[in-house]
Amino acid sequence: MSKIKAENVNVYYGSKQALFDVSIDIAEKEVTALIGPSGCGKSTFLRCLNRMNDVIEICRVEGSIKMDNLELNSRKLDVVRLRESVGMVFQKPNPFPKTIYENVAYGPTIHGIAQSKEEMDQIVETSLKKAALWNEVKDRLDEIGTGLSGGQQQRLCIARAISVSPEVILMDEPCSALDPIATAQIEELIDDLKKEVTIVIVTHSMSQAARVSQKTGFFHLGKLIEFGPTDKIFKNPDNQQTQDYITGRFG
Amino acid sequence: MSEKPHIVKSYEEQLQLLKDTIVKMGTGVEKQLENTIQSLVKKDISLAEKSIKDDELTDKYEINIEEQVVNLIALRQPMAIDLRETVVALKVSSDLERIGDLAKNISKRLTKIGTDLPNDITKNFEIAGLKASKQVNAVLNSYLHRAKDTAENVWNSDEEIDQMTNSNMEAAVKHLEKNKNDIQKVTQLLFMLKNIERIGDHATNIAEQVYFLITGDYLEGDRPKG
Amino acid sequence: MNNFKQNLLKKRYNAERRFQWYGKIAIGLALSFLAVFMFQIFSKGYSAFQKTWIVTEVHYDKELLLIDAESPSKDDLENADYYDVAYKAMTSLDPGLPEEEDRQLIQMVSYKYETEVKDLLLKNPDYLGKIVPIKLTASDDVDQVHKGNYPRDIPEKNRRVNDYQLQIYDMLNERGDILSEFNISFFTSPDSREAELAGIASSFMGTVFSILVCLAFSFPVAVLAAIYLEEFAPKNKFTDFIEVNINNLAAVPSIVFGLLGLGVLLAVFNLPRSTPLVGGITLSLMTLPTIIIAARASLKAVPPSIREAALAMGASNMQTTMHHTVPLSMPGTLSGTIIGLAQALGETAPLILIGMVAFVNTIPGTPVDPAASLPVQIYIWSESAERGFVEKVSACIMVLLAFLILMNLAAQIVRHKFEKKWS
Ligand SMILES: Nc1ncnc2c1ncn2[C@@H]1O[C@H](COP(=O)(O)OP(=O)(O)OP(=O)(O)O)[C@@H](O)[C@H]1O
Ligand SMILES: [Mg+2]
Repeated sequence: MSKIKAENVNVYYGSKQALFDVSIDIAEKEVTALIGPSGCGKSTFLRCLNRMNDVIEICRVEGSIKMDNLELNSRKLDVVRLRESVGMVFQKPNPFPKTIYENVAYGPTIHGIAQSKEEMDQIVETSLKKAALWNEVKDRLDEIGTGLSGGQQQRLCIARAISVSPEVILMDEPCSALDPIATAQIEELIDDLKKEVTIVIVTHSMSQAARVSQKTGFFHLGKLIEFGPTDKIFKNPDNQQTQDYITGRFG
Repeated sequence: MSEKPHIVKSYEEQLQLLKDTIVKMGTGVEKQLENTIQSLVKKDISLAEKSIKDDELTDKYEINIEEQVVNLIALRQPMAIDLRETVVALKVSSDLERIGDLAKNISKRLTKIGTDLPNDITKNFEIAGLKASKQVNAVLNSYLHRAKDTAENVWNSDEEIDQMTNSNMEAAVKHLEKNKNDIQKVTQLLFMLKNIERIGDHATNIAEQVYFLITGDYLEGDRPKG
Repeated sequence: MNNFKQNLLKKRYNAERRFQWYGKIAIGLALSFLAVFMFQIFSKGYSAFQKTWIVTEVHYDKELLLIDAESPSKDDLENADYYDVAYKAMTSLDPGLPEEEDRQLIQMVSYKYETEVKDLLLKNPDYLGKIVPIKLTASDDVDQVHKGNYPRDIPEKNRRVNDYQLQIYDMLNERGDILSEFNISFFTSPDSREAELAGIASSFMGTVFSILVCLAFSFPVAVLAAIYLEEFAPKNKFTDFIEVNINNLAAVPSIVFGLLGLGVLLAVFNLPRSTPLVGGITLSLMTLPTIIIAARASLKAVPPSIREAALAMGASNMQTTMHHTVPLSMPGTLSGTIIGLAQALGETAPLILIGMVAFVNTIPGTPVDPAASLPVQIYIWSESAERGFVEKVSACIMVLLAFLILMNLAAQIVRHKFEKKWS
């Protein structure tokens, strides 16, 4: 089933066009990987899905992006509500310089999700458990989140993102700063999360895309060149450019 | 479909070496098979002995290719066409090794029974053997030139060898009914005929691999059965 | 390695070494200027923290005090006439002196000596009728003689202390009746025309009130302006124009702000002249751009990733700013504010224009009482002729410097202690 349906999305930064007629169907409770060379517009597309491009003044998005038949690219959309249901994890771990507890509790606090302190404690605990971080931090929830290791910080960011029970999680190169163990932990986490959540992940690691995703989209120069089942893309892509890219023949 | 070279040159070189090794191994196996058949045609047992000896080289090639493939998978994590190239190389090498083995097996039987054999059966064996040789040669060409059509042809004409083998074996049995004294030689010849058929099957296997290598798809339809 | 390369390498190392030396010399020069300046101030000023007393005896004679009651009340003591008693206390130092020459003795103590005589009795009523020793503030001239600042070998007519007074001073000094003690009154007394009595209490309080008023006005305004400009205002020509003007404002000479204070606060709004209220508001005009610039810089320094994190969690712009950006920028803003205030602390010109240069001999209790300020006090004293004021100027500079150093230290501490580390 389709969760997000983008149709003919064009994105401009000022007069420079960054995405050209991108149409993509993101299936529910699946992992969709977006790959492509640097500057091809993966992040730009990802940021259309939670309207983070609003922050960039010169950025203009055209076309239709529907999530469960709700038009996301509309002025009337309440972005605060959208971002409650579409979480995001960034390339560089960016926990707030606050305590671990506060980091996870921030979303539920501003969205009024927890009614009581006990409920909040519960949310923090389950989020951290889901993010496979609970055991490492349960005795030091009041320590500053930025004091954790890179991999722990990234898992904290994931815990923060899932604390509001989003329907979709967007991840922009979440493992690019992590060692293989931390990467594996996060990949395992993605596998786990996809039972409940739709995940869109941008990655530069072909093997990571191949490992974690069910569908893969290949972007090049702002265009979606090929989109299909991951095994097809990595075994026998239809498009020559895709093949050249994934086999390391680019340029 | 000609691919651009890889950005990483050493990767490119490794893949090329793998292809070259397959081709070399194929050429060796072809030669082995030719020697085996010619040994009977020319009634020269030393050719059969050479074929037996050359099988060692074929085995070595197979081991070498296996190593190369494992290395590529471990160190390069090949994708798409490169992945198919690697996996196909592994399978093709094992089919080629089997062909080599079968040629060696025929040669061994030849050395046991000598070249003084009933003419009609020898003739049949020669025809089937040459046909199988041609299949092997064609499939190796299709690998070398990435020729999808040639591979398909090989795949389709395997049936001929199968049918040939069936009638050849019937003929051999008839011959035995008339000449009960030839029992020793004809029994060996029956195995040799069967081996030719098996060689044809392995050539077909390789054709399937080549087809997959080029297209990423599997050959459609029921495989011609013997 | 060939010769050419080796020479090149050597040259490069030499160039680097030379450069380091230039740097060291520059720093040395700057430090030595500072050292000379400090030495100057300290060597002149430290004596101002010492006060010279002359010890003599006073006879609280009921008759001379014109007290009739047998057991006089506090009021009686308050209203008694101390003129004769005080006069006698001084003249008793040299009973043989002809009456018309008495002035010479009286001049050796401050003109407030009568009050000092009175205060001692008020504090100890049982001294009535007794002869007790008393400490009297030495006059400015005797003070300077005692501190060795006054050359004795110039001709008598050019000296403010004549030969007779010197003779008495020497006698007293030999007897140990000249005391030198820590000058508490320098800190507790307001300004005075007499150097020996002048203190910085009035100007110190004036400065404190001015700074508080300045903080109260400039901080909220500047921080709000900075937040709006940095986080909410659209980036267009108009906001660029505002930004340029704020930067220009920071470069405007302070005297212009003084004129503004004079023309607007005093003339239009009729606020009380010479008060820390007006002074503080005027100074806040000066600190405003400094704080805005500091606050904007520290808002800018908050990594965008934190803002993105908050926005992506579904925080509104306002929440992102108030929950994350502003708290993270506070250490920088605060230290910028303190530095801005420290600048204001040293300002003289605008305060002179709004009348805080007036002679104030009361200690202000509120920001609307007339007051001076430390830098203006320095200016006033440095204009005075008496020798005693020279050391006061230096002492006042020392106090001002201490104040400044403390504030800068506070800024450093705020910055280092509360600055959050982000990855
Ligand atoms: N804020 C911006 N202002 C102007 N142009 C931008 C901005 N962000 C991205 N672009 C441009 O849009 C294009 C796509 O950028 P995007 O960040 O989406 O690439 P990407 O695929 O995520 O690359 P990477 O893999 O390096 O993260 C690039 O050409 C980039 O120069
Ligand atoms: Mg990106």
